[in-house]
Amino acid sequence: MDINTVFPLIPLTKLELLNLLPLFTISFGALFSLLAGTHKVKGHGLAFIVSAIFLICAILQGMFPLFSSDITLLGGSLTFSPFTKTANLMIMIFALIGIVLTYGHDHKEGLLAEIYSLILFSTAGMILMVSTTHLIMMFIALEIMSLAVYVMVAMRRNSRFSAEAGLKYFVLGGLASALFLYGTALVFGALGSFELLALESALRMSAHQSFIFFIGLGMIVVAMLFKVGAFPFHGWLPDVYQGASTNVTAFMGAAVKFTAFLAFAKIAQYLIFVDTVPALKWFQFFIWFIAAASMIYGNFVAIAQNELKRMLAFSTIAHTGYLLLGLYAMNIGEGSVESILLYLFFYAISNLGAFAVIALFEEKNQKDLHIEQIAGLGIKHPILGTLLTIFLLSMAGIPLTSGFIGKYGLFSSAVNAGEVHLVIIAVLTSVVSVYYYLRVVIYLFMKESTLDTAKFQKLKGATIAAFISAAATLQFGLFPKAIIHFIKMIGK
Amino acid sequence: METTSCLLTWIIFSPMLFALVAFLTPSAFEGKLRTITLIQTLFSAVLAIVLYFNFDGSLAGPQMAHLVAWLPEWGINYLVSIDGLSLPLVMLTAFISPVAILGTWPSKDGELKKEKFFVMMLMFLQTGMYGTFLASDLFLFYFFWEVVLIPMFFLIGVWGGKERIYATVKFFLYTMVGSLLMLVAIFYMLKTSAAQFQEPNAAFVSLHSLHFAFDGTSLMSAMASPQTWLFLAFALAFVIKVPMVPFHTWLPDAHVQAPTVGSVFLAAVLLKLGTYGLMRIAIPFFPEAAFYFKDFFIIMGVIGIIYGAFCALGQTDFKKLVAYSSVSHMGFIMVGLFAFNKVAFAGSLYQMINHGISAGGLFLIVGFLYERLHTRNLNEFGGLSKTVPVMAIAFMIMTLSSVALPGTNGFVGEFPILLGAFQVQPFYVLFAGTGVILGAVYALKAYQLVMLGPQTRTDLGHLHDLNAKEIVAMVILAIFIFGIGFFPKTFFGKSDATLEQYSDSIIGRVVPNGH
Repeated sequence: MDINTVFPLIPLTKLELLNLLPLFTISFGALFSLLAGTHKVKGHGLAFIVSAIFLICAILQGMFPLFSSDITLLGGSLTFSPFTKTANLMIMIFALIGIVLTYGHDHKEGLLAEIYSLILFSTAGMILMVSTTHLIMMFIALEIMSLAVYVMVAMRRNSRFSAEAGLKYFVLGGLASALFLYGTALVFGALGSFELLALESALRMSAHQSFIFFIGLGMIVVAMLFKVGAFPFHGWLPDVYQGASTNVTAFMGAAVKFTAFLAFAKIAQYLIFVDTVPALKWFQFFIWFIAAASMIYGNFVAIAQNELKRMLAFSTIAHTGYLLLGLYAMNIGEGSVESILLYLFFYAISNLGAFAVIALFEEKNQKDLHIEQIAGLGIKHPILGTLLTIFLLSMAGIPLTSGFIGKYGLFSSAVNAGEVHLVIIAVLTSVVSVYYYLRVVIYLFMKESTLDTAKFQKLKGATIAAFISAAATLQFGLFPKAIIHFIKMIGK
Repeated sequence: METTSCLLTWIIFSPMLFALVAFLTPSAFEGKLRTITLIQTLFSAVLAIVLYFNFDGSLAGPQMAHLVAWLPEWGINYLVSIDGLSLPLVMLTAFISPVAILGTWPSKDGELKKEKFFVMMLMFLQTGMYGTFLASDLFLFYFFWEVVLIPMFFLIGVWGGKERIYATVKFFLYTMVGSLLMLVAIFYMLKTSAAQFQEPNAAFVSLHSLHFAFDGTSLMSAMASPQTWLFLAFALAFVIKVPMVPFHTWLPDAHVQAPTVGSVFLAAVLLKLGTYGLMRIAIPFFPEAAFYFKDFFIIMGVIGIIYGAFCALGQTDFKKLVAYSSVSHMGFIMVGLFAFNKVAFAGSLYQMINHGISAGGLFLIVGFLYERLHTRNLNEFGGLSKTVPVMAIAFMIMTLSSVALPGTNGFVGEFPILLGAFQVQPFYVLFAGTGVILGAVYALKAYQLVMLGPQTRTDLGHLHDLNAKEIVAMVILAIFIFGIGFFPKTFFGKSDATLEQYSDSIIGRVVPNGH
């Protein structure tokens, strides 16, 4: 049967369709899951099953055409290369873990069944965002992703913190989107294109660019730094991490950060790391500065936190700093983008796992888990305590865990590119980070439990999510050969 | 040799196999976990003996290598091998482990606290230690070096004394600062390796052929040389672990707070990781820089010897006294390593083993006393030799070994260091030599306060002497103390070829007259 008889309106080749299929599946899955969620009694369970099945199908579909040649669609605004397809696959994996984590937690927190379809909608937005090189397309993708996440953050209806977080995120996120759009308009005004590739070649034509271009680029950069949560655009982050229901925080910390950072890396690669325009040196220096400031600020402020989710929120600022270091190194050396991808992937997995364990100990409508509440938990629940320890050690970059491999790859690629100073700042601040991660481990295993100590909430989904994440963290930490080989392959 | 090619891997990972067994042991058999640990340590000791007899002492280079591709894209492989430098340290680890287990056997089964977790951490720790000594790939070395921290962190933090959390965090962070800077240096070395050979390669043999520019005409030019910074980054990581003054402050805290078995491993093996690292990496990879800064390290070593001895002299806490004596004794190794003399290099290696035995033994004695009398205050003992004669004899042997009496192992280590260093640095050795005298003062003072004099305590009625297990532990140590003391060649002979080649290559490269 000819493909055009099935989809008569879209003249697509088989390969193009194959590449787009995961995106279609996820979008349809979101709709079906929305429908399934309307069931009065079993709405949550049905929505979970439907969304999980569609996601698994999408992941399988995404795996087949992984190494096919690059596909460009919609006049060049969507590009599917092995790199973007791998990133998409990773996003879908985060979404799947996020959905599993949500199962069970939704009842505890009184979340509506729509949460599952919202996760899928935002996943669709993320896939678009990673795959596009068109600024307007990127804006639309950003909005698809963000709007769903705003709703998810505010969905914990019985908690005023959730409403506060949702509002904060929405207002500030709206501002960032507006900046992005205005910046795009200014860049278009200056250079006459929305296409990153075309913009880059326009930049290379002339060493002197109009002032409008730099204003526009500055706005885009600020909007993206807001989304990735870099200092000093991080103000929303701790409150949103705390106020949102923990499964949403986990999904945000993993997938949103992953997507936003990859999109920022793409913008930086085409618009900032252009060596023919001298004035762009200031932007490059700005990234250097933000990297150093995020590492220092995030790590030092995290020390002072006594609440787990808030501490992880500040630590995520520090991780953004490390990633920006990798990004800065991309400017001067080859091969960093793979190490950024690897680091993001490992970090996201550990992050999902850590929040899954937190979810297992949070009471209904609790804002955050206080560190005193986990005193002695590792003794009472040795396995879960060990899991949380693994995730925290991974974030701290201690060997045995994937976080170490990720950090090793990122920092070594930066040293290879010649950026030693920033790496030294990074390793010294990561000693600081070891302190606050270990503090949690100390409370888990070395303090006596008290009456305040949190109770274990029997949640199947979160338990499974924690185990999957831990298995992945250890697997990639001990036997990283396969995944590194894979990442090298897609880079070629 | 084909049959023994996996032997090193077995030595490294067999403790983890037993850890799995311990993990799967049902809670009804919790009382038997120590026995499993003992079997594990004995199994490792047997493997080590097999290793010793298969080791070819006439070869200077690494042997019994085992290579598995691990991260080939980054030039990193699982590569383990053994030579004359690591053989004695592996043997030390293999023999000190059963001794530590036997010497710290819990007296009543009811007192066990989180026993399963405890023995698993002990096994995990052994894997890390063997791995660090046997790794022949810089990344693998770093990997195991860091892995050792995790079980030690828990051993001090969960089963330690009152200030255990402060002590364990200090221990962890101190080591982390040094090792992360070492990591940056490793990146730099691999980058250079990739530039030189197209592909990066982290194997020691391959990195040895790299040369890092060094210009020692003035301090300014030396500080501008890459080799200086690489050397300092590695040396910082290692001297923190040794510990060298002024980076020693974590040690008394960690020792005093750690449970006895933790102290024994810490003193006997973990401190040696630092000196082993200096000997294996910092000095041979960056000989010019090491030679340029040798005076600084010798002076710091001498300060450590004297300062550690005086601190030990002033302690009333027995465990702290032994801890500071470690600072003093490790100072000798620093002097020996940076003397750049053949005899002193050999002495440093011997001293690593000997200090492991004597300090391990003394910590066990502290543990025996603490378990029986629940105090470590030296002024609260007195005249115990009448009640516990066997312990008094054991304590005497350990003391004599610690003060380096001729005929004990301590002499075999300290004498060549002083002899060798005197030939090149007579002025500093003059001061280092006083450490031997001071060492005798504090060690004998401790012995006197505990064992001799009038009995001041009234509750000595239930003070029992060493039991069979503890006697076995002490006898094993005593055999090594006198065995090494009288027949050093028998114990260290297999290291000669490696030591010979090691000191020739380094001294030939950096010392102008080549003496």
